[in-house]
Amino acid sequence: MMTRSLKLGTSVLVAALLSGAAFAESYGPYPITEKSYSGDKTNSVAYTGQVARNIMIDSLKKLAGQADGGANAEELKDTMMLYFARGNKEDLAIVSHKGKDGFPITQTMLNEISSGANLVGKTYGGLVPGWPGNKTGAEVVEHMIHHAAMSEGGVSNDLGYDWGQLIQKFLIGAVSYNQAVDNYLDEKMTADNKPNNKPYSDGAAYTGKEHSWDEAFGYFGAPAHALDLSAGDAYGISKKTAFDAGDANGDGTIDLKSEMTFGNAYYAADADKSGTDYLQTITAAFIEGRKVITAADGEALSEAELAQVQAYAATIEDEMTRVLAEATFKYAGSVYGDIEKIRADKNNISDELYRDYIKHWGELKGFAMALQTGRENLGGTAVRLNRLIGYGPPTKDESVVTGIDADGNFVKDGKMSWNAYQLNMLKVQDLLIKEFGVEARKNDGTENLANLIKVLDSDSGGAETD
Amino acid sequence: MEFFNEVIGLFSDFANPKKRVFLGYLGISLLIAFAWLIFYHKTNIRGAIARIFDRKIWFSGSAQTDYKIFLINRVFTGFISPLLLTQVAIATAIYMALVRSDLTLWGVYSDVSIGVVVGMFSVAMFVADDFTKYLMHRWMHKWPILWPIHKVHHAAETMTPMTVYRVHPLEGVLYATRSVMAQGPVIAVFYYFFGDSVNLYTIVGVNVIVFVFHVTGSNLRHSHVDIKYPAWIEHVFISPAQHQIHHSIAEEHYDKNFGAALAIWDWMFGSLHVSEGEADLEFGLTENEAHPSSDLYTAYIGPLKEMARVTASFWHRITLVVRRPRGTATARPQRAEGSSSS
Ligand SMILES: [Zn+2]
Ligand SMILES: [Zn+2]
Repeated sequence: MMTRSLKLGTSVLVAALLSGAAFAESYGPYPITEKSYSGDKTNSVAYTGQVARNIMIDSLKKLAGQADGGANAEELKDTMMLYFARGNKEDLAIVSHKGKDGFPITQTMLNEISSGANLVGKTYGGLVPGWPGNKTGAEVVEHMIHHAAMSEGGVSNDLGYDWGQLIQKFLIGAVSYNQAVDNYLDEKMTADNKPNNKPYSDGAAYTGKEHSWDEAFGYFGAPAHALDLSAGDAYGISKKTAFDAGDANGDGTIDLKSEMTFGNAYYAADADKSGTDYLQTITAAFIEGRKVITAADGEALSEAELAQVQAYAATIEDEMTRVLAEATFKYAGSVYGDIEKIRADKNNISDELYRDYIKHWGELKGFAMALQTGRENLGGTAVRLNRLIGYGPPTKDESVVTGIDADGNFVKDGKMSWNAYQLNMLKVQDLLIKEFGVEARKNDGTENLANLIKVLDSDSGGAETD
Repeated sequence: MEFFNEVIGLFSDFANPKKRVFLGYLGISLLIAFAWLIFYHKTNIRGAIARIFDRKIWFSGSAQTDYKIFLINRVFTGFISPLLLTQVAIATAIYMALVRSDLTLWGVYSDVSIGVVVGMFSVAMFVADDFTKYLMHRWMHKWPILWPIHKVHHAAETMTPMTVYRVHPLEGVLYATRSVMAQGPVIAVFYYFFGDSVNLYTIVGVNVIVFVFHVTGSNLRHSHVDIKYPAWIEHVFISPAQHQIHHSIAEEHYDKNFGAALAIWDWMFGSLHVSEGEADLEFGLTENEAHPSSDLYTAYIGPLKEMARVTASFWHRITLVVRRPRGTATARPQRAEGSSSS
């Protein structure tokens, strides 16, 4: 008995030492430095509003799938609009992240995470040239919701739209990415905006800079312990396949507030499965930046500290932008591959293939639009991207949407051959490599060419001389 | 066991149909040699055996050096493998340049029947490879900086199929690079027009045309079996006898028959020499080349020294020209840089 417990004790110790050595830093908790705070909180980190928004974005995708071809259109539209523009304190069910056997999730209602936060007030305010009608970001989403509610299962086959994908992917950019890089990491990281020697808001437990930085991290959507995770695990948490990796505090349930991978972070992990390092790089920059702010101990940031923080912010912006470019690249490749199959027998396109194609196109279009909601206007790159992708994909008879009429209904009087559109997908990938330096390059359209060369292995006496 | 595998690895080319010395090709070449000696030269069987397995050829100092170079060069084969990735990069770059171009021909021929595409591609790959082999070989002889490398091959005084391996490692690298540069663009252009239909007609994994080249006795090019073709065929395909003429030290044979499989390049560029029943050619280098056939040091280090010397004298002449004051440049005309040194 004695020896057994000794052995057990030793192995627990060893395990603790080993895992202790392997534990990387997580984002928070960080001490309270705000001098005016008088409450009993001990952790200054808070980004629950951002988590709630990431959940609402994913929930909208789920809701779009409930459309039944028109019968529930009005009701569904109202519901979706609630998730997009809910009023203060209105509680809503979390429809996107539901626990299941072997993967329990702590929260089931949005107010358990944050009350009041909505999407509409945080959606990209500029005009969106990639979508017909000269609309702002919020107007685009409302337009999409309107059509999603009337669709069949969230898809309009005749037009070529998968509404759930379009809405979700666009919002990952128009809310999460845009708020992070164009607001919290941009103007709120200047000296006079949300200074560090004042609370973020009256009575808050955190300074202006601390909370601004935390909000940006929340929008990015990584679990606080992301540095501890492999790309596959970070991805698997979102897929509900990596419970142990997600349950950082070991309490037997996934806390959406700190243990889930959302939106931008999820696509960073997805790219990283092909060898890049976005998730780690971005998370590390967030942690290092937060440490600089914390170290200022509630005083205004010096010029040097501000410069340091801004440098981390620039890294985060660059990498997050590239993640969106990687995702756009990936789905351009999927569409390329789908059309390759469609062209093999274009008079007999199976429903399954066409469904995949529409889904992939929705992801492509959503991400291409998301990419254009950053701090910088992409100028000519955006124009080329939008022209190559168009307002809609070629549908079964090679007709395409060219715009909307005064009532917001789609006009589908264009023609685009499968061949020409497939070529466009190659050009999209080419453009993304050139403009954003994408590296993961999933579904590269030139993959078949590379494979052909490897199969030929034209070493047939290549080095043989005479 | 490990050691055993290493040893087997050394001889893997004999089991690889992509290589000329694949045992199957060697066997066929042997049969062709017998048939040639018996039916063309009317030799009896005993004589043919004696001729083909002549110990003075297979175990000459020159041949023994061929074998040693074969083994030593195994070390360098690893340098060539990254070239496959280079080929992918070249082909992808050219392909994407075409994609970006205003040519709106991408995939428009993807309805052409696969058989036609594969046939055209097989021919194009073979022709591109063969033509660049001709060019490279020609430069090897004509450019003073390259000749020292190629000399190693020509130093052979007796020839066996293994003489194909008697090359300086640098020559192997140059040829492999050439192959990549030649085939990459062909693959890219075909892929641009025909997309995923592009493929090769192969037999045992080898381009069918290359396969035909090998089963018709490519191994006998380096041998003392003087198989020749009718003159008109020798204008199209290089016969073994024609390559033996390329190795001959007779003055009238200098710089002739650079071709690998096709003779048309030699014909077009004036270096063709059809065989005329020359008997007992003498192979090797002339005495002034100072390159003994069976010395490994000369084979590996000699070319490097000689290249250094050629480069140095080239720079020397350049500086002479540059330093000479204007108006006095009338002295002796310099020998043209491209003139033959062999
Ligand atoms: Zn030779
Ligand atoms: Zn030669």
